[in-house]
Amino acid sequence: MERLCSIEELKRLRALLVRDVDDRRPRIVVCAGTACQASGANSLLRAVKKYLIEANLVEKVALRITGCHGFCEMGPFLLTEPQNAFYARVALEDVPRLVQAVLADAYVEDLLYRDPVTGEKFRRCDDIPFFKNQQRTLLEMNRKIDPIRVYDYITHGGYQALEEVLSRRNREWVVEEVKRSALRGRGGAGFPTGLKWEMLARQPKDRGKFLVCNADEGDPGAYMDRSILEGNPHSIIEGMLIGAFGVSATQGVVYVRNEYPLAIKHLTIALRQAHDLGLLGNDILGTGFAFDIKIVRGAGAFVCGEETALIRSIEGKMGEPRQRPPFPVQKGINGKPTAINNVETWANVPLLFRMGAAKFAEMGTKGNGGCKVFSLVGKIKNTGLVEVPMGTTLGEVVHNIGGGPPGKAKIKAVQTGGPSGGCIPASRFDLPIDYDSLAQAGSIMGSGGMIVMDENTCMVDVAKYFMNFLKDESCGKCFTCRKGTQRMYEILDDISKGQATLEHLDLLEELALAVKDTTMCGLGQTASNPVLSTLRYFREEYEEHVYEKKCRAFVCKDLVGAPCQAACPIDTEAWRYVAHVARGEYEQAYQAIREANPFPSVCGRVCSHPCESRCRSGTAGKQPIAIRALKRFVTDRVDPSVYRPRRTKAVQPGGPRVAIIGSGPAGLTAAHYLSLAGYASTVFEADAQPGGMLVSGIPAYRLPRDTLGKEIKSLLDENVTLKCNTALGRDITIDELLNDGYRAVFLAIGAHKSRALNLKGEDVPGVFPAIEFLKSFNLRGQKQARGRVGVIGGGDSAVDAAGVALRQEGVDSVTIFYRRTRDEMPAQKKDIDSVLEEGVKLETLMTPVRILTDKGRLAGIECVRNRLGEVDAGGRRKPVPIPGTEHVFLLDTLIVTIGDVPAIEFMNSMGIEVTDWGTVKMDPATLATSRAGVFAGGDVVTGPNTVVQAIAAGKKAATMIGRYLRGEDLKQPGVPLLPEVYVEPVQLDDDALAEANRVEPPVVAPAARRRDFNEVELSLSVEDATREARRCLRCDLEFTQPKEDAVPAQATAGVTA
Amino acid sequence: MKKEEVLSIIDKHRDQGDGLISVLEEIQTKYSYLPAEALKLVAERTGRSAVDVYSVATFYRSFSLKPRGKHLCLVCQGTACHVRGAPQVEKEFARQLQVQPGETTPDREFTLETVNCLGACALGPVVVMDGHYFSNVRTSRVKSILDKTRAGLDDAELKADLRDFVLTVSCPRCNHSLMDPHHPIDGSPSIKVTVATEGEHGWLRLSALYGSFTVESEFGIRTDAVVDFFCPHCHAVLKGASLCPLPQCRAPMVSMIVRAGGVVQICSRRGCKGHMLDLNGSGV
Repeated sequence: MERLCSIEELKRLRALLVRDVDDRRPRIVVCAGTACQASGANSLLRAVKKYLIEANLVEKVALRITGCHGFCEMGPFLLTEPQNAFYARVALEDVPRLVQAVLADAYVEDLLYRDPVTGEKFRRCDDIPFFKNQQRTLLEMNRKIDPIRVYDYITHGGYQALEEVLSRRNREWVVEEVKRSALRGRGGAGFPTGLKWEMLARQPKDRGKFLVCNADEGDPGAYMDRSILEGNPHSIIEGMLIGAFGVSATQGVVYVRNEYPLAIKHLTIALRQAHDLGLLGNDILGTGFAFDIKIVRGAGAFVCGEETALIRSIEGKMGEPRQRPPFPVQKGINGKPTAINNVETWANVPLLFRMGAAKFAEMGTKGNGGCKVFSLVGKIKNTGLVEVPMGTTLGEVVHNIGGGPPGKAKIKAVQTGGPSGGCIPASRFDLPIDYDSLAQAGSIMGSGGMIVMDENTCMVDVAKYFMNFLKDESCGKCFTCRKGTQRMYEILDDISKGQATLEHLDLLEELALAVKDTTMCGLGQTASNPVLSTLRYFREEYEEHVYEKKCRAFVCKDLVGAPCQAACPIDTEAWRYVAHVARGEYEQAYQAIREANPFPSVCGRVCSHPCESRCRSGTAGKQPIAIRALKRFVTDRVDPSVYRPRRTKAVQPGGPRVAIIGSGPAGLTAAHYLSLAGYASTVFEADAQPGGMLVSGIPAYRLPRDTLGKEIKSLLDENVTLKCNTALGRDITIDELLNDGYRAVFLAIGAHKSRALNLKGEDVPGVFPAIEFLKSFNLRGQKQARGRVGVIGGGDSAVDAAGVALRQEGVDSVTIFYRRTRDEMPAQKKDIDSVLEEGVKLETLMTPVRILTDKGRLAGIECVRNRLGEVDAGGRRKPVPIPGTEHVFLLDTLIVTIGDVPAIEFMNSMGIEVTDWGTVKMDPATLATSRAGVFAGGDVVTGPNTVVQAIAAGKKAATMIGRYLRGEDLKQPGVPLLPEVYVEPVQLDDDALAEANRVEPPVVAPAARRRDFNEVELSLSVEDATREARRCLRCDLEFTQPKEDAVPAQATAGVTA
Repeated sequence: MKKEEVLSIIDKHRDQGDGLISVLEEIQTKYSYLPAEALKLVAERTGRSAVDVYSVATFYRSFSLKPRGKHLCLVCQGTACHVRGAPQVEKEFARQLQVQPGETTPDREFTLETVNCLGACALGPVVVMDGHYFSNVRTSRVKSILDKTRAGLDDAELKADLRDFVLTVSCPRCNHSLMDPHHPIDGSPSIKVTVATEGEHGWLRLSALYGSFTVESEFGIRTDAVVDFFCPHCHAVLKGASLCPLPQCRAPMVSMIVRAGGVVQICSRRGCKGHMLDLNGSGV
C-alpha cells in the first residue's frame, strides 16, 4: 500500500479500483459478523474455501467475507452475485451445489429463502420483506465490503466525503452542513450533532481538542454499533476525520467495549491501513491537516455511556460522572475541549456529506434527519438489525419487517432505549419512531435496542430485571440513585414474590419520581423509566401479582410454582400425578387428579391441556410431557371408588338450596363442590339428558358415552337433584326460583346458538348450523349429512362436525373451509390431524361469499380466496379477499360453525345484564351478575370455550356461592398455589433422559375408524406411560425437596400416603 | 505471576500513553485475573495510590480479583436474552457446575460468570464459552456444551470433516514449493521453512491442515517469541507487509502463496493463532 500524498492521488486510486470492478464475476458473499459466527459462519467459510481450493475454482469464483447484514435470525447465510440470491441457514453439505450454481449463473431453488408465514420463495435478496421494507443507508455498505479491505471501502465511495471536505477547506461549511442535515446523536439523548460541533469549534484550538467515538454499547439488547464497527470500520474513521477538520481537533479516541473483540480487531486493522495510506497522522493527503485516532478499551460499566464518566474512564480512572457545567466541549479529556458522538452518529457523517445535507434531512421527519438502525430482538420472528427512516411506525417495524411473533403467543409490548427506556404497549404501535414521540410515550429512543415482548414476558419481571441491572450499574455517587434503585428493586422483588400490597405500588411510583428528580446524571434521571412506563401501561399486571398472586406470563417463580399446575385452570397438581405414574403408584395418581377435577376421564380424553403448553420440558427445548395422555392412562386403570371425596360439612336439613341452570361441566362441577361444602342444589337441564356440550357437542369417537355417563352419574349424589327437560325462560324464571326458596342461582347454560353467515339462502334445506347438526346426531341419532359435505369454520365444533359427517352413511366427501391458514385454526391440532387422516379435506384461506341453490335446495357455495393482511387488534393477520379468485364448490350438505353464542335473549327481562357480544355480564373476579344472588360461568359468559375452563368456572362458582350464602366478602386476596407434597423422584441417569422423546398414545388405523363411532385414541401401555412420566423435569422439587438439615425423608412419608 | 512480566506490561502501556485500564486489562488477559501483587506493582510503578488502583479494579465489571478456572463460561443476561429464557439457562449452568455466578468450581475447571450484554442479541439466549459463541441455548443443551468444552472446543471444531482441508503452499519470491511429503504432520505433507529467533536458527515444520496449529521445530522456541521465517530454497524473508490482527499481538505476519490461488498468512509470534487465508490475493 503506497502512501497517498494528495487528494488527486486518492481520486486516481479510486478510479483505478472502480475500473477493475467486474460486476458479472461470480461471487459468493458470506456474512461473518459476530451473530453469524455464533451460528456457524466460520465453518461455512471454511467449507467454501475448502471447496474452492479442492475444485480448483479459486480463480473463477470470488469470495467476499463481510460484516453483519442484519438478518441475524437466518445465519449462517450466503449470497451469490450477480444473481442477488439469498440462501439462509446454509448446511455445509450444500456448499458445492451453491458454488456450482453461482458458476453457472443459476439458483439452487430448494435452498432459496422462503417466507416462514406465506411460504413464498424469493429469488432476489432485495425482494425479501425483511430487506425490502427497510431503507438501508448505513447497513447496505456492510454487504458490499470486506471490512478488512480498505480498497473495498474506497471502491464504494469511501473517503469521497473526506475528499470533498478537504478540497473545500472551509471549516464553517462542514459544521453548517451537519446542522442542516438535522442529524441527532444516535447514542440516546438525540442532541443535535451540528450544534455540538459548533460549540466545540468555538473553543480555542491552541490547547488541542479531542473527538471521541463512543463504542461502549452498554445498552443490553442493542448491537448496531458493534455491527457497524465490525462491518465498516473505515466509515467511523472517515466520519471522525471530517469532524476533526470541521472543529480543528487533533486527537481522536474510540472507546470500545472489551466484549467486542471482532470490532476491536477490525478497527485495529482499519486504523493501520488508514495510517499506511496517509489518511491518518500528519499531513493527511498532503493538505497539512493532522489527526490521529487511538483505541481505548472499556472494561464493562454501563455508566460510562454518560459522557463525563466516559471521559474519566478514558483518563484511566473510575467511571463516575461529574456535575456539568463545565461541559465536555469546554473541559473534557485531560481538561481539553472534547466532543463525544456514538458510532452510528459518526458513521452517518460521511453518508450525509456524500448524499448532501438537504437530502439527508429529507429522509426523516422534521428535526430528525436520516435513518436509524434498530436491533429488533426478543420475541419476534425476524430478529436482526433493521434500518428505517425516522418517523416509521413501531407497527411497521414489528410486523412488516420483523414478521410478527415467532409462535402463537401475541406480542404485548416493545421495549426501547434499554435500561433508560420504557415499554410501549401493542396498542400504541401506530407511534412514529422519533426522539420526541418516544419521549412522550414514556420511553426514549436510546441507542436503538428494540426488544419485543409477548404474552410470555412478565412486565413486573422486566421492570425488576432493569432495576437489578441499574442497582448494580449505579456508580453510587448520588444517594438517591444508589439507594433508590436498590429500594425499587426490593419492592419489585416483593411484588414478584407475592409479598407486596397495593400500597407498595404507590410507594414504588413515588420513589421512581423522586429518583428521577434528584439525581445528577442521565443514568439516574432515566432509571425510573422502566418502572414508570410499565406501571403506566401494565398496571393490571402489577395488581394481579399483588392481589391475585398470579403471574399471567408464568415468569415469577414464587407465584408460578410448577408451571403445569399454574397453567391448569382448576389447579390440578399435574406434576404430582405424573410423579406417581413414574413410580407405578396409580391409585395415588388418581387421587391427585380427582381431588382437583370431577371429570378425570373426560379430561383425560378431550382436555385442551394448557399444562402441556407451559411444561418446562417443552419450553426448555424438548417436547412437553404428554400430561393429558398420562391422565387418561391413570383413569383407565384405577377404580374411581379409591377416591373418597373430602366433605367439609354435612348438608343441614332445611339449609339453603342453590339452583343451577345447565348440567354441562360447569353446572355439574358447581353442584358437586357445593355438595362437598354442605349445600344442596337442584340442577335444571333443558335437554332430555344431562351433560351439556359434553354429550351434545363432542362426538362419541372422542368421548365414549359409557365413560361420560359413569362420570356424570358419580357426581349426582344425595345432595344434588337433577331435573331434565326444564329450560330457563321456557319452563322456569329466575324470579320463580328465588321465590321457591332457592337462595342463589348459578347460570351455566352454555352457548347453544350457532352464529349465522348472513348470506342469502342460508335457510334452505341442506344447510345446518353446527350445533343443530351435532345435537341431532349425538342426542337423537339423526343423520343429516349426505353426498358432498362442506363445513365452514376452524374451531373444535367444525372439526367435530366434519368427523361426525364423515362417519354418516351416504356421505361421499367432507371438506372444511377456513378463512385463515391451518396454523391459525382454533381447534386442537391433534383433532385436525385426526380427521384429515380419516379423509376430510381442508381448504384454507377461503371465505364463502354466496350460497348456491337449486330448486330451493342447497347446490353449493362460492368462495373467495384470501391472503393474510395487516395484523388485527387480536394480534392475528386479517384475511383479505383477493378479487377475481371466486370459485364454486358443489355441495349437498353445508354445516356452518363460525362460532356459537348463548341463547339468552330473555335474560334482560329477568334483570340480568347482557354484554354487546350477547353473553351474560358478570364480574370475572366473583362471577356475580348484575342481580344479587345470581352468578354465571362457563360458555354463557365466555362464548364457546374448553371443557376445563367450564369446570374451572363451576369450581369458582361453588366457592363464590358458598361465600355468598355465608354472608362473606366475595373478593378475597389470592394465595400462590405452590407444590407442597413431596414425591420422591425415581433416580435416573441424565443420558437416558436426554435420549427419551415424547410418547404419543396409539390410535386405531384411519381406515378402520372412519365408519364407526368407536373411540379413536387408545390407552398408553405401562412401559410407555412410565417412560413418559420419567421424562418429567420435576419442577415441584424446588419447592418440596426436603432440605438436608431439615426433616428426614421418612417423616414426610405420611403426607404422601 | 512473574514480576518482570507485569513490569514490562506497565512500561509498554506507559510508553504508548495508555491509561490504567489498559494495563489492568493486559494483566488480566495474561493471568485470567488481577493478582494482588500485580496491583501493588502497578501502584508502585505508576506512582498512583494503591486505593486508586484498587478502586478502578473493582469499579469495572470485567475485572476479577479472584483466579478464574481453565474455562470461562459467560452467560449473557442482556434484555433480549432475558426475555428468551436466559435466567433458566444461568440456573442450569449453576446447577450442573454446582457454583453460583462469579464462582469457580473447586477443581478449577470452570468459572461461571454473567455478562450484561454480548451484542449477539438476535440469537439469545447466548452463552460464550472460552470465546466460542453458542446461540439459542436452552436448558436442555447445557450439558452438551459443558461436555464439548471438556473435550476441547478447538478440537471439536477441527474434527468436523466437511471443513477439513490441506493447503499446498509455495514461496512468494521463488515460487518453489514449501511442501515436505517425507515428513507428514496430521497425516499430510508438512510445510517446511527455516526460522531464526533469539540467536538460534533451524528448520520448522507446520501442519498444512487448515486450522491446525501443530508445529515441529529443530530447536525449542519460547512461547511469545517473534520468529523470522525464511524460504529454505531462495532464503528470502517470508515476512508480509501486514501485522497480526489480534490487538494484543501485532507481530508481523508471514505470507505464503497458496497453490490453488490466493495467499495464506500466519502470525510470526510463537503461540499466537492469528492467521488469514485470503483466496482473493493481496490482503488489502
